[in-house]
Amino acid sequence: MTLLDLARGPALEWALVIFIAGILWRLLGVLLLTHPVDFSAPRTSFAKLQGTRTVFSRAWPSAEFIVRTRYQTVMAYVFHIGMFVVVAGFVPHIEFITGLTGLSWPGLPNFVATLLGIAAVLALVAMLVRRLTDQRKCCVSTWDDYFSWFATAAPLVTGLMAFYHLGPRYETLLAMHILSIDLLLVWFPFGKLMHAFWAVLSRAQTGAAYYRKGVRI
Amino acid sequence: MPVFPTFEQVYQGFAEQIGKLPGVAPRVEMPADQRVKRAVKVLVDETHADEAVWLESCVHCGQCVDACHFYESTQDSKYAPLRKIRLYQRVYRQEVGPFRWLYKLVGRPVTVEDLEELQELVYDSCTECGRCTMICPMGIDIASLVHHCRTALVAAGMAPPEMAAVTFEQKQMRTVFGASPDVLRSLVQKILDEYGEEIPIDKDKAEVLVLTSAVDIVMNGNGLLATARVMNHLGVDWTLRTDAYESANFGLLAGDMDLMVELADNIAKSAERVGAKVVIVAECGHAYSALRWNPHVHGKELPFEILYMSEFLGRQVQAGKLRLEPLNRTVTFHDPCKIGRRGGAFDEPRAVLAAMNAELVEMPANREVNWCCGGGAGVFLLNRATELRDKAFKIKLGQVDATGADGVVVSCASCRLNFEAGRFKNRWDKQVDSLVELVADHLKDGEAGQPAAVAGGEQ
Amino acid sequence: MANESTLVELLRQQGVSRRGFLKYCAALTSMMGLAPTMVSAVSEALQNARRPSVIWLSFQECTGCTEALTRSHAPTIEGVIFDAISLDYHHTLQAASGAAAEAERENAMEENAGSYLLVVDGSIPLADPGYSTIAGISNLDMLEETAKGAAAVIAVGTCATYGGLPMARPNPTGAVPVSDIIKEKPIINVAGCPPIPVAITGVLAHYLTFGAPPELDHLGRPLAFYGETIHDRCYRRPFYDRGLFAESFDDEGARKGWCLFKLGCKALVTYNACATLKWNQGTSFPIQSGHGCIGCSEPGFWDKGGIYKALSRGEMSSNAKLAAAGAAGVAIGAGSALLARRRQNSVENSEK
Repeated sequence: MTLLDLARGPALEWALVIFIAGILWRLLGVLLLTHPVDFSAPRTSFAKLQGTRTVFSRAWPSAEFIVRTRYQTVMAYVFHIGMFVVVAGFVPHIEFITGLTGLSWPGLPNFVATLLGIAAVLALVAMLVRRLTDQRKCCVSTWDDYFSWFATAAPLVTGLMAFYHLGPRYETLLAMHILSIDLLLVWFPFGKLMHAFWAVLSRAQTGAAYYRKGVRI
Repeated sequence: MPVFPTFEQVYQGFAEQIGKLPGVAPRVEMPADQRVKRAVKVLVDETHADEAVWLESCVHCGQCVDACHFYESTQDSKYAPLRKIRLYQRVYRQEVGPFRWLYKLVGRPVTVEDLEELQELVYDSCTECGRCTMICPMGIDIASLVHHCRTALVAAGMAPPEMAAVTFEQKQMRTVFGASPDVLRSLVQKILDEYGEEIPIDKDKAEVLVLTSAVDIVMNGNGLLATARVMNHLGVDWTLRTDAYESANFGLLAGDMDLMVELADNIAKSAERVGAKVVIVAECGHAYSALRWNPHVHGKELPFEILYMSEFLGRQVQAGKLRLEPLNRTVTFHDPCKIGRRGGAFDEPRAVLAAMNAELVEMPANREVNWCCGGGAGVFLLNRATELRDKAFKIKLGQVDATGADGVVVSCASCRLNFEAGRFKNRWDKQVDSLVELVADHLKDGEAGQPAAVAGGEQ
Repeated sequence: MANESTLVELLRQQGVSRRGFLKYCAALTSMMGLAPTMVSAVSEALQNARRPSVIWLSFQECTGCTEALTRSHAPTIEGVIFDAISLDYHHTLQAASGAAAEAERENAMEENAGSYLLVVDGSIPLADPGYSTIAGISNLDMLEETAKGAAAVIAVGTCATYGGLPMARPNPTGAVPVSDIIKEKPIINVAGCPPIPVAITGVLAHYLTFGAPPELDHLGRPLAFYGETIHDRCYRRPFYDRGLFAESFDDEGARKGWCLFKLGCKALVTYNACATLKWNQGTSFPIQSGHGCIGCSEPGFWDKGGIYKALSRGEMSSNAKLAAAGAAGVAIGAGSALLARRRQNSVENSEK
């Protein structure tokens, strides 16, 4: 079995198993904790529904904070958008998702994916540098922060290397790329990458709690 | 001739009282491992799905420091809001979280030193103002999590001495600083004698139950006087009750939840007995949280509404029942964190100022994103935190100055005390007024006879 | 038996001029990736080479390799190589049969011990020797015996180089490639299903010229023919780069000659010379004809997940595992929360 066979065969399969089981485990283990009733009289109705608005409104800093957060906001968006476009717009990736789910959609020209992929990597590096040099020592970086960064950066970097044939033979590059995805999938449920789910849930519940009191955030 | 002290004098007196608190604080002796056990148990018990989601959500972006007045004024990373919840996160992950079996294996157990370190982070340097939540991309309610940490420290016998002292007194006396029913009655009498203003007390039935507070009872008589003037001017069927008159809830502030619930329940019961339709909370920020937004108070089922003083006044204005003389000054308004951002009553105080034709200039950061004054959530009581508080207040000072107004209107005794301290220490030239006292001074078709009480702090 | 005349004499007899012979040497030199200055060395060597004995063993094979090599439609340079060697044993091409053929083989082995070339096509079954025998001798035995005196082994076709079609799951015959059996002789893997004919002859010519195998890659294939992927030389590459793909056979994209990645083309990971040398004297190759590369020169190409499934699709056994994972996650997660709830004894829980 070659490295590539391993990467896209058993490694991928088990990685997906851990990914699915781990995420459901973590989500349910949290969401099925108690939800005590709040007996105070709400100021508004349908707070829970309105709370979902915060999922979107919080996606951009409010005017008061926009100057202080601009660097991080821009870098984070360049990364996230770049990554999503690469994952969902590059045809070989769409084929991968089609193979798993049956869903498919038209792809983007390759140069879009590669340009945004490069931008995403640069943004990630910029944020890592910021975290490492953290003059204000505010970020309280942990092992999780660095490892999650690595697990996120590796697929982007190896993907670009594979696409541009930079380095070892193509099948090795492709194997490294797929193995890095396997690593990402395995790590996803356990570290801070789960913020993909928590961001939505946390914003919605805070939005609901505030809206209940009449404060729209 | 004014009968009651100016607010500057009130502040001086209060500062003295606070200085004495550590001396009378009960000491809770407990072996270290028991402290840890109790703290952990409290955190475990109080972690519901919401708390768990928030604890899971922090991605260490560090943006919260840009919203926090304690960090902003010291640039000390110790005060970063995200640091306040790290111990709670550790406990959550090891005891409640879905992967706790793994975390127990690899994580460090909680020590009493961790709790000692936590004390400064959740008492001295956090006013539970919620401004960090406004900037957090994940929308984490750090203030609520800090509150749970306080509860844990109380269970471990590790609340700061001043908190322990006031909690102890309130447990015994239902009020603090010696503001007993007798003292209240003699104040009521004095107001009648000196100002001819009658305050109904201990009526069997009344439409409105008004709560006052220790600050007003023991020191700031002008506060109760102003309240009485306004209520009587409005012709409200109101009463004070000696079985339920204290707005302040040190159970909530310190983190003693049993006490918090007991005090809140007591007020609710009294209101029911009296058949009140409305309970008015005096200008005391956290009191609103303890009553109006207390998840245990069955607000939906009880027959009365709970309104903050500024909220009540605002509604009276909006209903056309309260007409006021013009103020003829430029002012700005400071929303108390627990009433505005954490309470939802922004418009009512502004309606009152509008009714006074006040030229209102909003601070650069206002309403949901206004800066905290630095003194709330009991921080004003902590002697140890004086320097920190004073530094933080400078931000507020700058905000007010930036408006070009000649003064600021506040509506919370804790804010007011902090503003007064800041005014004094910085030789600040701005006027600081309480909303209710301002209203009392500007009632249209004012009472003949006694001149209006001197509004606080003109020097 | 080895013929005493040299190659040049033989060629002249067949009407191939010296000029034609030199052209062949130049072509061969260039195809093998040797410097132009090597042309004279190649021609020298071939001219004067004694015609070495070549024994060609065919095991579990379809004869496609031989067909590719011999079924050229015009007299080809490739065919010339058969005149440069003495092909002493080959099932399809030899006149003799039965015991006589085997005797020929044994003679050649004895007379040229240590210097004959062993060419093998087809895989060797290990599960049961009875799956493939020649004159009652199992493939395994014959291979081991014949390899003993060989100077080198040339495995021709993916069956001999990597196991090929017989080795496809579930590999009922226990098929293995030559390199699994022979460990002590130099093996040159000329992979492909079939290999490009000139690859076979090029290797032979190189051996004749230099007496040694050409430079090989990590899978034993001559770099001259297997040094680059088809993807890197494919004329449709600009369409891959731009992201223009045929979605189905004979759709608009297919007719426009767009990239066949989505139709399962494995050219990205296939090393061969199809895109440059092509087939049938440079007529065409699968991609040019509108069908994706199936990766036939790579080990295990039958078991890479389907020749019509894009390379980026995973190779997973079934969805059952994933469904089970989901169920397990839900169960453990719910269990974790419920156990945590039991531990809790909070004020908020006990209703007041």
